[in-house]
Amino acid sequence: MGNARGSTTLYVALLSLLVLGGSLFAGTGFAASLVIWVAINILLAASFRFVQLIGELNFAIAGFVGVGAYVAGVCTTKLGLPFVVALVSAALAATLLSLIVGYITLRTKGPYFMLISFAFTEVLRMVYTQIDYIGSNSGMLGVFPPVLLTDYYPTFVVAVVLLSLIVLYKIEQSDFGKVLVAIRNNDAIVQTVGINVHLTKVSCLAISSFIAGICGALLAHANNVISPDDFSFLLAVYTLAYIKVGGESHIAGPILGASVLTLLAQVAMGFGPFEHIFYGAAIVIAVLLMPDGLVGIIRKFLGLPPKPQAAAKH
Amino acid sequence: MEIFGQLFINSLQISAAYILFSLGLTLIFGVMKVVNFAHGEFFGLVLLLIAILVPWLNSPSVPLVVAYGASGAVSILATMACGWFLYHFAFKKFQRDMVGSFVLSVGLSLLIQGLFLEFFGGVPIKLPDLIEGNLRILGGAITTQRLVLTLIALLVAVTMCWLIAATKLGKSLRAVSEDHEAAMLQGIPYRKTALYGFLIATFLAAIAGALLAPVTVISANVGSDFLIKGFIAIVIGGLGSIPGSIIGSILIAVIESVGGYYFDPSLATLAMFVITMLVLLVRPKGIMGNG
Repeated sequence: MGNARGSTTLYVALLSLLVLGGSLFAGTGFAASLVIWVAINILLAASFRFVQLIGELNFAIAGFVGVGAYVAGVCTTKLGLPFVVALVSAALAATLLSLIVGYITLRTKGPYFMLISFAFTEVLRMVYTQIDYIGSNSGMLGVFPPVLLTDYYPTFVVAVVLLSLIVLYKIEQSDFGKVLVAIRNNDAIVQTVGINVHLTKVSCLAISSFIAGICGALLAHANNVISPDDFSFLLAVYTLAYIKVGGESHIAGPILGASVLTLLAQVAMGFGPFEHIFYGAAIVIAVLLMPDGLVGIIRKFLGLPPKPQAAAKH
Repeated sequence: MEIFGQLFINSLQISAAYILFSLGLTLIFGVMKVVNFAHGEFFGLVLLLIAILVPWLNSPSVPLVVAYGASGAVSILATMACGWFLYHFAFKKFQRDMVGSFVLSVGLSLLIQGLFLEFFGGVPIKLPDLIEGNLRILGGAITTQRLVLTLIALLVAVTMCWLIAATKLGKSLRAVSEDHEAAMLQGIPYRKTALYGFLIATFLAAIAGALLAPVTVISANVGSDFLIKGFIAIVIGGLGSIPGSIIGSILIAVIESVGGYYFDPSLATLAMFVITMLVLLVRPKGIMGNG
């Protein structure tokens, strides 16, 4: 067992290095953008899935990504702070907001939490349009990564994403991660052994939002332009599509789903503006025909038993 | 005093539409435990069909009222057929699976909206007025058309409440939403009741769409706005609760008209969200929610 795990770690490390090295050749053109989009979407999906560990669908993720993007944008363009400071403040701002929102909304669960997180995202989007300092409806321009990083921005993004994925995976494997899954399966039992379920859920959301804030900062500096409509609930729905297509029982699911869908979407965009239809159809097909997504199919192919679904029981 | 009259009239108009919309949402949730994100698409489908049919039917020989009536009836029937189709091929397999059904309905909503954009185009349409003229009530002004439509909407809502409160079907719908297993033990056919509940909800969304057709600017994503408000209304009122959805809708409508008058519409939406948070802080299952 220990040996098997050791070799898995080795494979993962080798693969990560390969991806990291490969991203050095992305340059600055369309290929670079594609690498960045895939990497950020993977991290977004992993962050969304992290809250699914406690059995909740967190549509507020789009709101937290938006907060991260705007905070990072303000830091670099308005305040002239270094990029690293912007990145960290974006993550911290999203975390702080998620602590407040989570403390209130995570008392509810299931459909109430889904709907309220959905409303949160839409309300935040509307708030951006009302603030002139951050460009209201037209958004912010000129959010560029530092000159030093320009050529290596794809590599930097990939490195941050890989690091974050490893951290998320380690947390999931830790005792804390097991408590999260236990809460999903039956929160009453977790409560009886003296664990503060509410605080655990809030921390789970905070960790996920920290990552979402990072995604926002990376995204803002990759696109150079941010506007309120970039952070509508559609962003969360697309993220949901990545997870549903990839599968949610393993962290490989978001990675597979985000890569496949982001690349396929580029092909679909070649035929016309079918983004809605493409992602909508992806979700419907995945839900109706592919329980546990691509990961489930791979499991079946390898002859492994299917893992229990991450569906909440109420 | 005049302002209060006007605000009262405005709230009444808005709440009539929201009540129809959120009654459907809460009914589906109660009976099937499905949070139907695609509910706004039924509403949108009716509006878009009417927007196509009315100009096509309307000619010197066919009066506008007949054109509206005929296209309204056809569109409502078409939408209910669409609802039946979605129930049988999608939602039936996901009843009582809140997360699965929600994800499915999100996907459906996105897919249907994409198709709407593809077939109907992105250009907003404003249909001609059905009835001309203005009225003054309680010091507030209202167009005759809006008053008539609001009264019809309230009539439909009251009829629906009577149907749910007094008829056998209504009783079985309520029994199933309280405890579907206990209801089945009493001999209530669960699947049939769920189908009826879903179709009634579709009908409510469709009739709300038909009634708003002459007064709304129709575009492919017209359903989304109503959907968010409808969700906020039923979260405040308590998911699955019929009186809750009505209270929630009225509250939302009052905030929207009063907030929209004294401040601006986006601030009113923000206020709705803050109030929802406050309600959930005190009652995590909404005002009328139980269990």
